[in-house]
Amino acid sequence: MKPPLLEVKDLHVRFPLAEGMLEAVRGVSFTLGHERLGIVGESGSGKSQTGRAILGLTAKPGIVTAKRLAFDGIDLLEAPPRLRRSLRGSRMTMVMQDPSYSLNPVMTVGQQIVEAYRGHKRVSQAEAREAARAMLDAVKISQPDRVMSLYPHEVSGGMGQRVMIAMMLITGPDLLIADEPTSALDVTVRIEVLRILDQLVAERGMGLILISHDLDMVASFCDRILVMYAGRIVEELASGKLDEARHPYTRGLMGCVPKLADDRHPLPVLTRDPDWAR
Amino acid sequence: MAAPILEARNLSVSFGVGRLTVAAVEDFSFALQAGESLGLVGESGSGKSTVLRAVTGLNKPAGGTVLLDGTPLDMPRGLAFYSAVQMVFQDPYASLHPRHTVDQILAEPLAIHRVADPQPRILAALDEVGLGPSYRFRYPHQLSGGQRQRIAIARALILRPRIVLLDEPTSALDASVQAEILNLLEQLRRDLGLSYVLVSHDLAVVAHLCERLIVMRGGRLVETTTAAALRDGSVTEDYTRAMLAASKGFTRAAAVNP
Repeated sequence: MKPPLLEVKDLHVRFPLAEGMLEAVRGVSFTLGHERLGIVGESGSGKSQTGRAILGLTAKPGIVTAKRLAFDGIDLLEAPPRLRRSLRGSRMTMVMQDPSYSLNPVMTVGQQIVEAYRGHKRVSQAEAREAARAMLDAVKISQPDRVMSLYPHEVSGGMGQRVMIAMMLITGPDLLIADEPTSALDVTVRIEVLRILDQLVAERGMGLILISHDLDMVASFCDRILVMYAGRIVEELASGKLDEARHPYTRGLMGCVPKLADDRHPLPVLTRDPDWAR
Repeated sequence: MAAPILEARNLSVSFGVGRLTVAAVEDFSFALQAGESLGLVGESGSGKSTVLRAVTGLNKPAGGTVLLDGTPLDMPRGLAFYSAVQMVFQDPYASLHPRHTVDQILAEPLAIHRVADPQPRILAALDEVGLGPSYRFRYPHQLSGGQRQRIAIARALILRPRIVLLDEPTSALDASVQAEILNLLEQLRRDLGLSYVLVSHDLAVVAHLCERLIVMRGGRLVETTTAAALRDGSVTEDYTRAMLAASKGFTRAAAVNP
């Protein structure tokens, strides 16, 4: 039997601080096939740290432990750093939140995409440029040649995020982790970027983990949703069955957002139960 | 209709000189009635925050006038203006002095306005925003995002202004904290008879807090509409409709036929 794309069992991420051990992720387990999985939670819930731990990008002095953390049957915790580095960027990649921080400001967009490609593929400069052009075309950038010669500060937020997606997908990864890929963008641009992501994920049959604080957005995009609170998964939901959410945290999170459809004054607020974090 | 308490007429703001001049706001007018809550909506770069900054005198307008109670305002704005109009900024992580305690933060506007006996005012201000006296001697880094924004609101209200300008007051906060801050703003408005100008990119937040709203794009006014029109979808401009559609979220059906 083919192993699942990603297996995470009892993942812990800890940060030793002066005040004691900060437990950012406390026993997260899930498996991912070639599907879209959403991880939802508020700031500090450990959702981004989960994504980073999978890629091996946990900041020092963070400690990652797990009963099992395997990508396509490869045990990531046992894998030598060399192997992890070659996996990262070629078979598993991550799109970060804000393109204006995550692109290199002193390299043109084209150079960066070419660099990302040639880092993993033995191809000539000309071939890599051709691939970059095709990839920019795939993320619906209308004049790829012009955009390749631009610096990150010369492109808009939405275009920057599309460039990021192009750079991450050019190596044809099997797993894409998108950490708040649209929260730095305007609403109208957001939809466009999601649409491109949606199409590419569908075409290439990738596994996608979409990390976000926006429950509605994730529900409309993913097949399955994990709701995280204080470093743990409190609930797992099928995206169509948001109404069947049982956990008071999930219900509270859904209820407290102002909606155009119904006008409620005052808004219901979330009363946090210390038991949820236990 | 009564005379507006705050008004901007043909306001223009530009940045840069010569060939690099960028017009951030062009020929923009609005009027705020007493007790009203007015929303300015637009995407980044639409000039909505610049309008607020021009009203408070943080940016010098290139043209047009700002009037308070029908009187045109000069640059720099005087103390009288700031005791009537105060502002709450977007990012509570950046808008509070990191090395000042809550007490110092709240005492500063009182000292500038030479208010006698500031102590009870500080305690009352903390109470108004739902924080107890135990928060008084804390530093901003000891507070959560929501608590910081409460302090920023307390600082704006401590001089008893009539008008509060809110620049994306909840966009840096989590959804559950956003609900608390929106409820607080609503309750304060009711209790203290405030008027708000709220800037936001989130149509639902604006519709929640404001009766009337102005949609901006590229520094210009696109449409003046009401929260009710937004709710039943009877907006006239295509751009507003596009924003409305986008705020409803991602739909796969549309993805198949873009």
